[in-house]
Amino acid sequence: MQSSEEKVVAVIMVGGPTKGTRFRPLSFNTLKPLFPLAGQPMVHHPISACKRIPNLAQIFLVGFYEERELALYVSSVSNELKVPISARLTVLYLTIGPCCTACFRYLKEDKPHGSAGGLYYFRDVIMEDAPSHIFLLNCDVCCTFPLPDMLVEHRRNGGMGTVLVIKVSAESANQFGELVADPTTNELLHYIEKPETFVSDLINCGVYVFTPDIFTAIQGVSTHREDRASLRRVSSFEALQSATRTHPTDFVRLDQDILSPLAGKKQLYTYETTDFWEQIKTPGMSLKCSSLYLAQFRYTSPHLLASGDGTKSATIVGDVYIHPSAKVHPTAKIGPNVSISANVRIGAGVRLSDCIILDDVEIKENAVVMHAIVGWKSFIGKWSRVQASLVMQLLHAEGDYNAKLGIAIIGESVTVEDEVVVINSIVLPNKTLNDSVQEEIIL
Amino acid sequence: MKALILVGGFGTRLRPLTLSVPKPLVDFANKPMILHQFHHAKILLDQNLKQGYSIPIEALKAVGVSEVVLAINYQPEVMLNFLKEFEAKLGITITCSQETEPLGTAGPLALARDKLIDDSGEPFFVLNSDVISEYPFKEMIEFHKAHGGEASIMVTKVDEPRNRIELRPTSIEKEVFPKIAAEKKLYAMVLPGFWMDIGQPRDYITGLRLYLDSLRKKSSSKLASGAHIVGNVLVDESAKIGEGCLIGPDVAIGPGCVVEAGVRLSRCTVMRGVRIKKHACISSSIIGWHSTVGQWARVENMTILGEDVHVCDEIYSNGGVVLPHKEIKSSILKPEIVM
Repeated sequence: MQSSEEKVVAVIMVGGPTKGTRFRPLSFNTLKPLFPLAGQPMVHHPISACKRIPNLAQIFLVGFYEERELALYVSSVSNELKVPISARLTVLYLTIGPCCTACFRYLKEDKPHGSAGGLYYFRDVIMEDAPSHIFLLNCDVCCTFPLPDMLVEHRRNGGMGTVLVIKVSAESANQFGELVADPTTNELLHYIEKPETFVSDLINCGVYVFTPDIFTAIQGVSTHREDRASLRRVSSFEALQSATRTHPTDFVRLDQDILSPLAGKKQLYTYETTDFWEQIKTPGMSLKCSSLYLAQFRYTSPHLLASGDGTKSATIVGDVYIHPSAKVHPTAKIGPNVSISANVRIGAGVRLSDCIILDDVEIKENAVVMHAIVGWKSFIGKWSRVQASLVMQLLHAEGDYNAKLGIAIIGESVTVEDEVVVINSIVLPNKTLNDSVQEEIIL
Repeated sequence: MKALILVGGFGTRLRPLTLSVPKPLVDFANKPMILHQFHHAKILLDQNLKQGYSIPIEALKAVGVSEVVLAINYQPEVMLNFLKEFEAKLGITITCSQETEPLGTAGPLALARDKLIDDSGEPFFVLNSDVISEYPFKEMIEFHKAHGGEASIMVTKVDEPRNRIELRPTSIEKEVFPKIAAEKKLYAMVLPGFWMDIGQPRDYITGLRLYLDSLRKKSSSKLASGAHIVGNVLVDESAKIGEGCLIGPDVAIGPGCVVEAGVRLSRCTVMRGVRIKKHACISSSIIGWHSTVGQWARVENMTILGEDVHVCDEIYSNGGVVLPHKEIKSSILKPEIVM
């Protein structure tokens, strides 16, 4: 089918420090791509998926975070794999199979170029090994990443690109890019980003595979822009606003600028996944996605999941990840859907469910944490309780933003004193709670 | 003689402003809080005992303090960069004593001990940097020397003694002073005038009123005047004010601000780079750096806008506390935090 010389590369867009606020308060002290889901940094999940691609030659992370901020992550991955790093370029080689290594690099943009612009900006490096195919993934997408199957379908379709798509509920579809596809050929016929009226319940998952023609297509958009003024599609709300942002010619968005114009021209195809898919935009979603990945571990990496029945080690219910350096008292009951990071200490009689406990947290005896994220180095006192109520979780799932994210969030270095109750609240870093709170943001 | 200024802490009570800069660098009356200690040096070197209405450092210099030690524990590199500029200008040596974890009020004292104690046997001052007051250092030194005890504490009558002194680990007030008092070595001197902790927004706004009032008493030329000015108002020389505005009382407008026509401002602070659009009305609020307030917007009742917040036209904010980099597109009818 494929020649043994045909190489494939993967590009993962990690973004950068934007003024985006949806991931607050978790985004105050950490880079979103490094926030842990199921015990691994968010970006680790697409990287793992890429390693399953046959003939993978390179994995690139593209973004505009400072190199030194990601260098720590790259070197920690390297330490676990015990491979050398070139200090200057933070180049790292991942072993993915016998006689096979993939080069792993972070490419920093000087400024955001848009999803397609970023790809184009680094085209020379990306095309170094003359790959036949290029995967493009968004880091903040949570799914099974069926990349090898996508590649097979893409080759069969013979087009320039294949887009991973999924069916969602009709009500939620307009938050995404909606597509219409030909049911027999899977060709992408029509694409529109966040339409005001319903077009289709099939949406763009943010995972793509392209042939190198994509670069020509992107270049075409840039030069086209310089030649004549292009009509910008704006929502009716935006049109009434006086401030409109004009993008520079090198800011090229994959959806609006590439997919939309090329739809219906036998260049783009779709590949539908029926597994889970979510976007990790808010802290509430990170908890949900952590649970989805934990469930997936049961099939892909069951050795990562914890087990125990309360005799020698804590009682484990459902899918739970516990970092090897964490200490959990045998009388604690953990799970389902719990992820415990490094150096955490869980005291006797603690109950944890549906939560992410970040590094260096200490949870004292008989405390309860449910539907919450507890930030790095925080301290949860004896008999205290941190949770989101069921009502809030349901409201959040239905998209009610007033439900304050659907989870309770304890920021970094927060102390929750003994017997204090924190319900449906968000506590910013470095606070001490001496009194119980409900439905509050503690600044 | 030396002084230790307690600058440590995360300034969480002054969030969202302290989400952008460490507390000592939050502007008060158009100057970073700690910079109030670095200006007016010339005024206070005058041996005439004018009651200094600025905050520590110039006042210290006037009584012969030659070295200031800042006890910090948060973003020290930001503070140190900032300080480099001023050390040379003022002829006072400024050193930093860095706490690796917050030590309360007495902790930094112990930590800075080596820097504070020298063979001269001279007493030293300990100051809390977010307190503003009239600093009669000269009288305090005389008082201290006269009674021969170990420590002198400034006290002032307050109307509402609600939690004026934060109880923290190893607090000087809670642990050290009672000990010294038991040994009958603590003397209290009543501080004339005002004492105000400007560590939280409500007190910040009241503090501005007191500070501007003190400027008025000194007949400071810094206060603005004109047909459009009411009461005490401070306007940076680089700020622009449009036609038909009414500004004051108790307003500070920072560098580079643009106040468009027909704007009403009272009891508020407008920080560097803010634009207030036409016909807006702001009272009892703090508008953070580089924010904008839209046309006909009404912002009042302890609204605090963090850095780079944009309030759209015609919006009403009643006590909204808005974190940096947000856009407010719908009205905030009752006090709430917008994250």
